[in-house]
Amino acid sequence: MFSRKLFFGAAAGLALCAALTPGAQAQSKHKIYLSMSYIGNDWQGEAANMIKAMAASKTLADKVDLQVQVAGPNAQRQIQQINAMVQAGAKAIVIYPISPTALNAAVKNACEKGVIVIAYDGEITEPCAYNIAIDQEEAGRITAEWLVKKLNGKGNIIAITGVPGTSVDTLRTKAAKEVFAKNPGIKIVNEAVGMWSQAVARTELSKILATRKWDQIDGLWMQVGCYTANAMQLEAAIAEEKLKPCAGEGSNGGRIQMLPVGTEVEGANGAYKPMAAPRISYASPPYSGALALKLAVQKLEGKDVPKKIVLPLPVVTNETIKLCQEGTWAEMKAGCNAFKPSIVTNPGWFASIFSNDTPEIGLDAALVGQPEN
Amino acid sequence: MSALAVPAHRQSEHSLVRTWFERRRGPFIAVAAFCLCLGIVKILSGGTLGYYEIGTLAAGGATLAIAATGQTIVILTGGFDLSAAAVISLVNVTLAGHMQSDPASIVLWTLAGIGIGAATGAFNGLFIAGLRLQPIVVTLATMFILQGVTLLVMDKPGGEIPPGFAQLLIGDAIPGVLPMPVLLLLALVGLWLALRNTVFGKALLAVGSDREAARASGLSVRLHEFFAYVLAGAFYGLAGVFISAQTGSGDPLVGNPMLLQMFAAVVLGGTQLGGGRGGPVGTIFGAYVLMLVVNILLVLNVPAFYSSIVEGAILILAVLGASLSSSSVLARTLRTGLRRAAARRAGTLPRQLDLPTTRLALPAPSPALDTPPFWRRNAEALRNGAPAYLCFVAVLVATQIVLGNAILSWPYYDSLIVLGCFLAILALGQGTVILTGGLDLSLPWTIGLCGILCAGLLKGSDAALIYAVPVVLGLGALVGLVNGLGIVALGLSPIVMTLAMNGILQGIALVYSGGTPNGFAAPALRWFMTGRVLGVTPIVPFLLLFVAGAVVLLGRTAFGRRVYAIGNGERPAELSGVPVKATLLRVYMLSGVCAALVGILLAGFSGQGSLGMGDDYLLPSIAVVVVGGALITGGRGSYAGMIGGVLLLTALQTLLAGTTLPYATRAILYGVVVLGAVVALREKSS
Repeated sequence: MFSRKLFFGAAAGLALCAALTPGAQAQSKHKIYLSMSYIGNDWQGEAANMIKAMAASKTLADKVDLQVQVAGPNAQRQIQQINAMVQAGAKAIVIYPISPTALNAAVKNACEKGVIVIAYDGEITEPCAYNIAIDQEEAGRITAEWLVKKLNGKGNIIAITGVPGTSVDTLRTKAAKEVFAKNPGIKIVNEAVGMWSQAVARTELSKILATRKWDQIDGLWMQVGCYTANAMQLEAAIAEEKLKPCAGEGSNGGRIQMLPVGTEVEGANGAYKPMAAPRISYASPPYSGALALKLAVQKLEGKDVPKKIVLPLPVVTNETIKLCQEGTWAEMKAGCNAFKPSIVTNPGWFASIFSNDTPEIGLDAALVGQPEN
Repeated sequence: MSALAVPAHRQSEHSLVRTWFERRRGPFIAVAAFCLCLGIVKILSGGTLGYYEIGTLAAGGATLAIAATGQTIVILTGGFDLSAAAVISLVNVTLAGHMQSDPASIVLWTLAGIGIGAATGAFNGLFIAGLRLQPIVVTLATMFILQGVTLLVMDKPGGEIPPGFAQLLIGDAIPGVLPMPVLLLLALVGLWLALRNTVFGKALLAVGSDREAARASGLSVRLHEFFAYVLAGAFYGLAGVFISAQTGSGDPLVGNPMLLQMFAAVVLGGTQLGGGRGGPVGTIFGAYVLMLVVNILLVLNVPAFYSSIVEGAILILAVLGASLSSSSVLARTLRTGLRRAAARRAGTLPRQLDLPTTRLALPAPSPALDTPPFWRRNAEALRNGAPAYLCFVAVLVATQIVLGNAILSWPYYDSLIVLGCFLAILALGQGTVILTGGLDLSLPWTIGLCGILCAGLLKGSDAALIYAVPVVLGLGALVGLVNGLGIVALGLSPIVMTLAMNGILQGIALVYSGGTPNGFAAPALRWFMTGRVLGVTPIVPFLLLFVAGAVVLLGRTAFGRRVYAIGNGERPAELSGVPVKATLLRVYMLSGVCAALVGILLAGFSGQGSLGMGDDYLLPSIAVVVVGGALITGGRGSYAGMIGGVLLLTALQTLLAGTTLPYATRAILYGVVVLGAVVALREKSS
């Protein structure tokens, strides 16, 4: 009876496997694994598309056999996954690390087996790992300094932070608060946890505004949520020219709002339209995963790659905002940094997709995973 | 149906072996599922299964296995512990900050880690066994408090665990033969088997199977319940020690995602929620099945967007495949279905026959009795629901004192209702499911998928609302129907079914949106959630109607009474003529429709759909239901009480958001207030 059960179960399982096993892979390519954490949010989905596009680009297509795996938000599972990738014969592992520290033992083990481990966006503190990310403290400091200057060193502000307990959030918030502390005229009157989500930013701002009015607020420092904050001010019948200065994320919705009033953009809709909103827009760029893949291949080919790469912080202000017509890499290199709502219909989509080092990927890569060439 | 099932069980088949097996069905299913998964990995990857692989595998799943073992003990006594994952994080950051490499420090901090867990367990036990509060509310509050404390200890990942200690727990017990994690788990199982044969162990199971019978036999129910939590806490502490050794560092968020997995492991291992049956052996194998899924996904090379779909399918197939037998629910459903079809062909179904009416004639209602006054008729509902409302008023007063602008300000109430509307709607679905003794864990991605689909269909057009809204609500009903079918026809536990469904829906949302959700809400929908008419947001009157309708649905209709009947006992309900299966299907469909409605409203509130938009609503949806006085094991609670829970939690969050307190302090305060509220106003009777 016991064995019969096992048989039925095994048959069911094998049927599932047979349906999913892909054909044999070419052997001459480098076997590279990508370990993503959680793909259930917009940033991760976009980053995944750009990595896919990079792997399919002419530069890498015949060099790389890329397999993408998702660990979910659980560090335990990512550890398990890294171990399994090493056992499966990975040459390199590209990781979006769930934790900067929890993976160290597994990463060290992988390095000892000769596997190159390269982390993007987040950081892995194990010394044998390669890291690609922006300087989070710089991000916090520059945005806070901009806001102080915009308010002439005086005013009540609201701070919306990221995910508590993460290095990225702690470093950004701490650096920003140090700037505010040096300017006694600036007072943080409310602080809320925004989880790096436009939807949460709206919920938290609504809670704050249940007992406070917009005219008691002079400015906002948000890790994600300026687009939403501007939309809420319009709903509260605040005129466009009186929008509060907001230091925050690099969402395309926010970038479009920064364009001068009257700029012609296709597909503008509701609050997703030019309104000359006073903004500084920065981001952890979603191209970092694609760049990590490219560098991993370079390293496998014997080139030297630095252990720690600090990406230039993509910063856009009202002075540097410029609308793209098509969003090719060449056009972005010429300086455009916002995309038409008719092409990018999701205003929460992250617009900092340009890097000098990745001519293989442009707007199509981020949207649908298509490389430039 | 019960009459048809009788001939299938012939007395002669009940040999001793069979009885022995039937009593241990749960663990066997878990072991079979584990072998199945391991077999799939090995066949497909073609690799060897040597000592090194076994060692890595054992270390990878040990934290979850140890923690889930603790959770099993609590569940065996009929409890529920949401604080488990938070204990793991707290122990991890404490050890990472303090442990040195000398042996004395290692021993001291290992004991301290286990001690932290046991102390948390004692705290939980004190409130649950001592003050007779609901486990889920107490442990939820403890979870928030611990998360806050953890962030106070360490606000970002860091710290270091001495490598020697890591080697001690992860390395070899007998080099080349026995990895340390396996020895540790064997020791835990040994401990459990020894414990089960003591008076204490038997008493734990007795308390879980039938509290009243245990009390009547002279057992001290409270004392045993208390020690179950302490023991479980010690296990979570040990899991925290283990994860510290495994990762070699501290991370304040490391334990949190393990909470749902822990329940899945327990249920996979054959332990039933509600207590009395099961044990840690099955749980341990259940935990390893969940970890092996990662390897299966890797060898199958499942595309990223499909991975959560395949994971959900594996979870369901593993449980189903391992439990296939002639007496499984699936087999019974098939048999019954075939018999019904045969009977229909033969024309012998009861409704095809011309039978005389057998309905009993009820006596005419006697007019002599006075209807008791309202407060007495609804005394129980008032007693259970009132604490939430009283605490809500207290929070209102506190808000007025701390922030001003509250009690006499309409905009404050307007914001409160708009912010609370999502939870109020979810409370109807989740609340009804909980009233039947189930739990719906598929809410996050039902909301997410429905919100994304809604925005995608609308593309900013008001006219599209006419078909988009029914389509999305229909999708919600479909999701609920599939959940319900999995539970009643396949016999899956609600936790496994809805958890798997959540993963499947996440995958569908990713594939549908291609990773970037398109479209945005129609202007009319945005106005509905964010506009103002004479200072009133249009959702407010709609919500009042919804609440009134929900109160009637649960309190005054036949459907509502059936829900309560099922929650109080499925078997008695069935014998009393309640169509249990049909009602359960409707209950899960109701939950799906409520989640879909929240998806639509959230899309209107935010202006568009986004991936993960429902993630923050799962635990609150359960919390409002139980804070509002419902019993997590089903049968008791009222929708009016749940609305009190919604108001209380929303007002509390609004109050905390108005301050500049750090997040850690807020989390602690939130937990303390919730706990204080239920303590101060607990039932005074017996």
